[in-house]
Amino acid sequence: MSKSALLTIHQALRRSFHSLENNQKLWKSVLAECIPLMASLENLAEQSRALSNVQISNTPLKDFPEVEELLRFKLSQAMDTVLCKLHENMASLQSLRDSLTNQVSTVVQLYEQNTDTLDLVTVTERSATIPSVVDMLEWLQDAERHYRQQFVRRKTLLHALSSGNLNFLATATKKWKELDTPGAEDQITDTLCKVSFFVESS
Amino acid sequence: MTSLKLLSVDSSDRGSQRCRLGPGLMTALGLSVGSPVLVSLPRGSCLCIAWPRPDLAEGFLQVDMKCCSPYFLRHPPSRLTLDPEQVTLVPCPKLKGMKISVVVQSVEFKRNNSPRFVHELVKDMLKASLREMLQLPLLYPGTLGSLGVSCPKGVLLVGPPGVGKTQLVRKVVGEVGASLVVVRGPEVNCFQTLSTVSPIYLWIWMFQVVRSRPGESEEMLRGVFTQACAVAEEGPCVLFLDELDSLFPRRSGSSAPENRLVAQLLTLMDGVDRSDRFLVIGATNRPDSLDPALRRPGRFDREQVIIGPPTLRQRAAILSVLCEKMPVCSSVDLTELAQRTTGYVGSDLSALCREAAMHAMRENGSGEQTVALKHFLVALKLVRPSCLRSSLGRTDLAPVAWEQIGGLDDIKLKLRQSIEWPLMYPEAFSRLGLCRPRGVLLYGPPGCAKTTLVRAAASASNCTFLSVSGADLYSPYVGDSEKALSQLFRQARACAPCVLFLDEIDSVIGSRCNGQAPSSVQTRLLSVLLNEMDGVGLKTLERRGTQKILQVEGAEENQTAEQMSSQEVCNKDVMVVAATNRPDCLDSALLRPGRLDHILYVPPPDQQARLAILKVCTKSMPVAPDVCLEELVAGTDLYSGADLENLCKEAALLALEENMEASSIKHVHFLQSLKKTKPSLTVQQIQ
Repeated sequence: MSKSALLTIHQALRRSFHSLENNQKLWKSVLAECIPLMASLENLAEQSRALSNVQISNTPLKDFPEVEELLRFKLSQAMDTVLCKLHENMASLQSLRDSLTNQVSTVVQLYEQNTDTLDLVTVTERSATIPSVVDMLEWLQDAERHYRQQFVRRKTLLHALSSGNLNFLATATKKWKELDTPGAEDQITDTLCKVSFFVESS
Repeated sequence: MTSLKLLSVDSSDRGSQRCRLGPGLMTALGLSVGSPVLVSLPRGSCLCIAWPRPDLAEGFLQVDMKCCSPYFLRHPPSRLTLDPEQVTLVPCPKLKGMKISVVVQSVEFKRNNSPRFVHELVKDMLKASLREMLQLPLLYPGTLGSLGVSCPKGVLLVGPPGVGKTQLVRKVVGEVGASLVVVRGPEVNCFQTLSTVSPIYLWIWMFQVVRSRPGESEEMLRGVFTQACAVAEEGPCVLFLDELDSLFPRRSGSSAPENRLVAQLLTLMDGVDRSDRFLVIGATNRPDSLDPALRRPGRFDREQVIIGPPTLRQRAAILSVLCEKMPVCSSVDLTELAQRTTGYVGSDLSALCREAAMHAMRENGSGEQTVALKHFLVALKLVRPSCLRSSLGRTDLAPVAWEQIGGLDDIKLKLRQSIEWPLMYPEAFSRLGLCRPRGVLLYGPPGCAKTTLVRAAASASNCTFLSVSGADLYSPYVGDSEKALSQLFRQARACAPCVLFLDEIDSVIGSRCNGQAPSSVQTRLLSVLLNEMDGVGLKTLERRGTQKILQVEGAEENQTAEQMSSQEVCNKDVMVVAATNRPDCLDSALLRPGRLDHILYVPPPDQQARLAILKVCTKSMPVAPDVCLEELVAGTDLYSGADLENLCKEAALLALEENMEASSIKHVHFLQSLKKTKPSLTVQQIQ
């Protein structure tokens, strides 16, 4: 009885770790795409700040009508395009987060349904190749929490950037990079290493 | 069971809401992995999910404080020894609903997202000056210091009740993003509230200073200043002393507790040094009853930023703000409503709107609600301007139409010219450089409809009508009558355009030339009247709105706005209408142009007028067809209007005497009554 329940849980955990691994790769690639976008956003902000500082009427460009308005329009259009792309990336991050959350909550639910048959000794039992169920649940939850927080922070930053404050935009890349938490990422890699025997054992 | 040692939480567990326990304890408590537990600690508790320790050791407890009593946010518990009973399993009912309230605390955010709703009054210069005082020290802290200037620390707001002093302070404070510390009068508590006045959330600290035991109030006041200092550390802060006159009255000779409170305030205000970035704002409607020591630079520096009752345009703006949230019928013209609400202050207007809405509700029941003009008109009768609430001259007159007065067409025209025209055609008046007459004197023999004429004029125009008689002004105390008269003028000016009616002016106001003692009450009243009608200028206390000069060539403004502004300029004065039977008894200074400009003789009715009067009088009477009014007119020489009315009444009574069931009044009755009555006018009177 408890054996079969344990096996079901193990299967579910394996699936979750698989998807966690995929998730991690995709997440990293999407974030990598964002860096150049942030740089170009910063660049555009710099350009429009320069435009505000210059007096067009004092330059040779003064003979062209409405040159300042046209330039400003162009710049803001370019900024909109970049922001649009960033938002698309955010959407893919969101779908990654959602799929992981679903996975983890399925496993936890499965465990909760079987708490009667699985006593504490069973779930805390660990061997050299297979970590205990409790530990694996814990790691999954930690990873899920990490992605959840990351997503909200990046989304908030992007929201603030969309307000068009030039001074704020000028430091976009720096702010974006500040949100990276290499420690937590390493933790997830560690986790994946720890469970590698368990995942391959089936 | 052994006791548990509380250890600080592992860094990897932070934010996970886990509570690490030994597996043995979990089994003993009947917990499974992930079950919710409540950990009761001294001074609060903490909600977590149970999780076995990674090393499976017993006797230790680690709690993540993600969901705990507020006390632990600042003082995380550590090195405690707990009993296992302090960890309990929490039953876990299904979530039925959730309420989330978002409190935005960033000042930056508030400033960028300030709402569009701005009270009209705040738009004025006043706001700018208040804001400047709040923001200057913040923006250029170094500059002020290097100039050796201490920035102003106190503002005193003076204005009649209900014009929005408190509202103004709250609004400006909300816009600047400052905190507000409010001090109020005699109650007990000191509490914090989250203001709902403005859509921006704003922390307000309210204090009630006055306490019963000696010394306590002063202590409270010191506490308020300390609190303000503490709040000012975090950002701009305003200390608002509402109803300043009741808290800090003029010090008297005896050692009243108020004296000590005033002294304490003075000390505290002087003690506020330059680095403390907070502003003290006091509000009062009786500046004269404040202690003079408070009103000097260094304490309340910006003295008397005065808010008068709103002018016509301000009223229209206030009404539009108030009606924004109401389902007002589209036919309601707010400009017209603003014209009808002379002398109403902001709170009166809001009461008016409330009353109108209530009336609409009563009428329509629970159906679709729109507030129409008729509801406003009903409400206008109920809500009276608070400026006039305690005024002497406030009269409730039965409306009289011009048609109800027979004859006297040229007098009517003159009166309309002076009272109605400036209200109706202000732009025409200003185009020709005319201004409204200051005063009109009606004289003529008694009973010739002088008072009725004024009544008709008042009910035809929408201006405020104040009537005053000798009895209102009489007082046994020296100087009291004069004060009452000048008070009356002040109130009338607050509610301009206004008609002030002085009936029987010869008896109220004396003359200087016909042998009266030079210091009698009448003479003094005369001097007050002369001064009020055409004196040197107004007191600064009465200034209203911003001073506007009428521009003829302001083409950009649309027409209604222009009309409104010319009306404001044209009608800011009080018009005095006086009536007397004895114009010769009046002082010549009163009769010159600039005071009583128009002197109109109301003559005894001539033949045609008498016919018109008789027609008006008999309109409501069933007159037999044989009655010949022309014959009566011929026989009623020297009869005044009042006499003619009496004649008709007498005839009706005679008809009733004859037969109680009489259905009409016959010519005979009129002739009989003509014999009975005598004319009240004499030839001498007319000359």
